[in-house]
Amino acid sequence: MLEVKLHDIGEGMTEGEIIHYLIKEGDNVTADQPLVEVQTDKMVAELPSPGTGKIKEIVVNTGETVQVGTTLLYIEAEGNNKIKKLTTQAKEGNAPMITVTNQKEVQKSPVRLINRILATPYTRKIARDNNINIEDVQASDPSGRVTEDDVYRFIKVRQKPIKSTAVSQSKNTAKEEMNKPTQTTHPDEIPFRGIRKQIAKNMTKSLFTIPHVTHFDEVDMTNLFKLREELKADNMYVSVPAFLVKALVIALKDFPVFNAELDEENEKILLKKDYHIGMATDTEDGLMVPVVHEADKKTIQTIHKEIKHLTTKAKNSDLKPADIQKSTFTVSNVGPLGSTGATPIINYPETALIAFHKTKKMPVVNENDDIVIRQIMTLSLSFDHRVADGATAVMFTNRFSKLIEQPYKLMLEMM
Amino acid sequence: MVVGEISQERDLVIIGGGPGGYSAAIRAAQLGIQVTLIEQGNLGGVCLNKGCIPSKIWTYAAKKRSEIQHMEELGIESSGEGFHVGKLLDYQTKVTKQLRMGVEKLCSENQVEVIKGKATFTRSDRIGVENGHQFDTYTFKQAIIATGSFAELQANIPRESNRILLSDEIFKLAKIPDHLIVYGNDYIAFEIASTYREFGSKVTLLLENERDFPYDSAINKELTRQFKKKKIQIIKNAQLNSVKEMNDSIITITYEKDDDTEHLLEGTHLFTPGIRKPNVQSLGINRLGVKQNEEGFITVNKNLQTTIPSIYAIGDVVKGPMLAVKAIKQGKVTAELIAGGKPEVDLTFLPAVAHTIPPIASVGLTEEEAVEHDLDIRISQFPFGSNGYAMISGKKDGFIKVISDKSNDIILGIHMIGEGAIELSASFAQLLEMAAKEEDVKFPLYAHPSMNEGLLEAVEGLIGESIHMVPKRKDERVSHVFT
Repeated sequence: MLEVKLHDIGEGMTEGEIIHYLIKEGDNVTADQPLVEVQTDKMVAELPSPGTGKIKEIVVNTGETVQVGTTLLYIEAEGNNKIKKLTTQAKEGNAPMITVTNQKEVQKSPVRLINRILATPYTRKIARDNNINIEDVQASDPSGRVTEDDVYRFIKVRQKPIKSTAVSQSKNTAKEEMNKPTQTTHPDEIPFRGIRKQIAKNMTKSLFTIPHVTHFDEVDMTNLFKLREELKADNMYVSVPAFLVKALVIALKDFPVFNAELDEENEKILLKKDYHIGMATDTEDGLMVPVVHEADKKTIQTIHKEIKHLTTKAKNSDLKPADIQKSTFTVSNVGPLGSTGATPIINYPETALIAFHKTKKMPVVNENDDIVIRQIMTLSLSFDHRVADGATAVMFTNRFSKLIEQPYKLMLEMM
Repeated sequence: MVVGEISQERDLVIIGGGPGGYSAAIRAAQLGIQVTLIEQGNLGGVCLNKGCIPSKIWTYAAKKRSEIQHMEELGIESSGEGFHVGKLLDYQTKVTKQLRMGVEKLCSENQVEVIKGKATFTRSDRIGVENGHQFDTYTFKQAIIATGSFAELQANIPRESNRILLSDEIFKLAKIPDHLIVYGNDYIAFEIASTYREFGSKVTLLLENERDFPYDSAINKELTRQFKKKKIQIIKNAQLNSVKEMNDSIITITYEKDDDTEHLLEGTHLFTPGIRKPNVQSLGINRLGVKQNEEGFITVNKNLQTTIPSIYAIGDVVKGPMLAVKAIKQGKVTAELIAGGKPEVDLTFLPAVAHTIPPIASVGLTEEEAVEHDLDIRISQFPFGSNGYAMISGKKDGFIKVISDKSNDIILGIHMIGEGAIELSASFAQLLEMAAKEEDVKFPLYAHPSMNEGLLEAVEGLIGESIHMVPKRKDERVSHVFT
C-alpha cells in the first residue's frame, strides 16, 4: 500500500487546498501520472503518482485545506507490498513533494517524528487557541524550541498589520467604531490564510532575524523622464522601473554586500554572482514577488518586457514557482500608488530592499543658486545592519542616483 | 416510521461504552453537555472485559511467578509448585467486575444516561435503539461512534475446536496449553508467548517479518536473548501456509521460510491476534453516506468528524493503532471539540509498550530511524546491571537507551527493556512532548536507589558523564568543559 502525503511545499509553506482530483477511487494509475491539483499559498501544483497501482482510497475531500504531512490518498501498489519509501518531486521546480510510506508504518511515522514540533503541549495549546499553526512561529531559541513568548509575540505582530489596513481602508467606519463600546460591535473577519499568512510568516521571520535600518534619499528623475519621452517619440516605449532595475544592478555590482546573504551559522557573507531582482507586486491576493532573473545580462528593453509580463501573471494568479524563486535583491515600486516614504521589511534572506516612492515636481536650488522645478523621487533602502553600515548604504544609493540623474552614464556602464 | 412514533430528543449520543466512549461521555458531562451512552454489552468494552485488563491480569500473574526464585533468596518461602488457573480466572472476574462497577458508578455520578441496546442510525440526526422487543428512537445534535473492533481469524486458519485462539479467548482457558504456537508480530503475541512460557507451556513464536521485533534494534536483540533464555523457540520470516487440527489434540502447521522451503510444526494450541475489523455492521452508516475505507474503518478528519460533520468517530472504529490509549484520547478530545474547545490528538509520541518479562517501553525515534534520516545523533545505553535498585529487586536484566540530537541536545527517543519500563514510559513521553534537552533530564533530582536513576544515567552517558558506567577509552570520550 502506498500512502500519498502532501509532503513539503516549496517556499516554506505548510498547507495546501485540494482543488481537484484527476483520478477517482478504483482508477489504475501509472508512475508520474498527475493525481491531484493542490493550491498552495502561491501556486497551483499537480502531485504525480509515486508508482503504478490502483487508487484504493481518497482520504481528503476536494476543497479541504490540509497540513503538510497529511495523507491524501492510498494507492494499492502493483507487485510487491514490502516496506517502501519513495519521494517524488512534483512537476514544477521544487514545488510540493509527496512521500510514500508503507501503510503499516503509519502507526509510527518517522517523518512525523523527524519533523516534530519543538514546543511544550501548553505552548501548542496557546497557538491552537489563537488559531495559529505553531509551525509558522519562529523560535527565538536557536535549537528551534518555540516558547510561550514566541507565540505571544507572533500573535502581537500578526494583529498589527490587520489593524492598520482596516483603518486605512475606511476611516469613517473606523471612527464610528471607535466611538462605540468595543463589545457591542462585531468585527468583520478576514480569513488569515494562504498568501496573507505566508506574507505574515516571511515578514515576521525577516523582522525577527534581521536588524533593519532604513535610509532615505531623493533622486532627481527629470533627465530620465526626458529620455523616456524622447524614446517614446521614436515609438520606443520603455517604462521607468526598467531603467531603475538596470541602474540598481550596476550599483549592486559596486556594492555587492547588498546582493548577498548572511550565513550566520558558518560565519560567512555570501556575495551572490547572480542578479535576480524581485519585483514586489500588489495583487488582489496580497503581496507577490515575481523575479527578473539575470537582470545584469538583459537589456533595458528586455527587462521592461519581463516586468510587464510578470506583473500581468501576478495579477492573474498565473505565476509559476520558477517565477517567484531565487531573488537576490528586491524592489518595491510603490510610487504609482502614491507614497512618500516607508521603512520596508527586507525579503529574507536577502540583505537589502529598495522602495521607490512617488515622484513629485519640487522646487530645487540648482548649482547656479536658481530655484528650478525638478521631478523628485524619494527612495527608502532598508538594509541588514549586520552586513553593512550606514555609510556603505549612502554610497550605494549615491551611485544609483548618479546613474538615474545622468542617464547617459547608465549607457556608458552598459557598453 | 410508525404513525405516532415519538422520537426523544437528546444532545449528544455516544454509541459504544468502551474506554473511548465512556471517556467521551464523562468529559462531555464535565463540560455541561447532556450525554446519552448506548451500549449493547458491558460498559468498559473490549478493553475492560476481554482485552487490556484480563490480559494484564495474566501478564501480572506471570511476572509474579517469575519472581518466586528470588523470593526464596529473600528468605520468603514459597514452593511455587502448583498453579490454579481457576483461581486466577476468578480473580480476573472479580477485578473486571469491580472496574466495570466503577465505570457504571462514574457514569451515573456524572449524570450520563446509559441505555442498553443495539444502535442503528435511521437518519443523519436520528438513531434507533433495539433492546429485545423494545425499539426507541432518539434525535440528536451530535453523535460519536465508538463501537470498536473485533478480531477475526486469518482466511488460511480454519477452526474446528477451541484450541485455535484469539486474544479474547485465550484468557478464558481453564488449562495451560502443553505446546502453544504463537503466530503474530505485535505486542499481544509477545506478551502471550512470555506469559504462557512462565506458566509452563512450551512456546513457539512464529514471526512473519524479516525484522524480528518492531522496536529499536537494541531492544529487539535483548528481547530475543531473554526469550531464548526462557527457551521460547523463535522462528523468523515465516509465512503461515496451512493449519490443520488433528484428532489427537494436535495442531499441525506448515509455514514457508524466506528461502522458499516449507516446514512443519506441531503444537497443541495456536494463538494469533487475528485481523481486527471495525464494528459497523448494524450501525446503518453506509445508508447515510458516512465514508468508510475498504476495510470498513470510518474515515474522519483531524477533528474526528465523519463525512457527516455532526457525527464523530473515535477509537478502533477509525484507522490507526488499535489501542485504548488512542480511543481514550480521541474520546476526550471529541467531547472538548463538541463543547467548543480547540484540542487536538497527536499520536507522535505514543508509547509502544509490551508487558513481557522483562517489559518494554519505547517512545520516539529509534536509532535505525535516526540513522536513516541522516541525523547527527548521540546514543547512550545504561544497563540495569549497574543500578542499585535493580540489584536489590533481582531485576538486573535490560537497559535504557537514549538517543539525542547532537546539534541541539534535544532528546529524540527513549527505549527501555527492564523492570518498571511501563511506569517509566510516562517520563519518556513527557520529556519528548516537552522537547526536553539533555540538561532538562540531568538537572532534576532522582530518588535513590530507584530504577529512575537508570534514565538519569542513560542521559548522562550521552556525554560520558554516567557515574556507574565504565568509561570509554579516553580518546573516545567527549571532552567537556564547564563554561
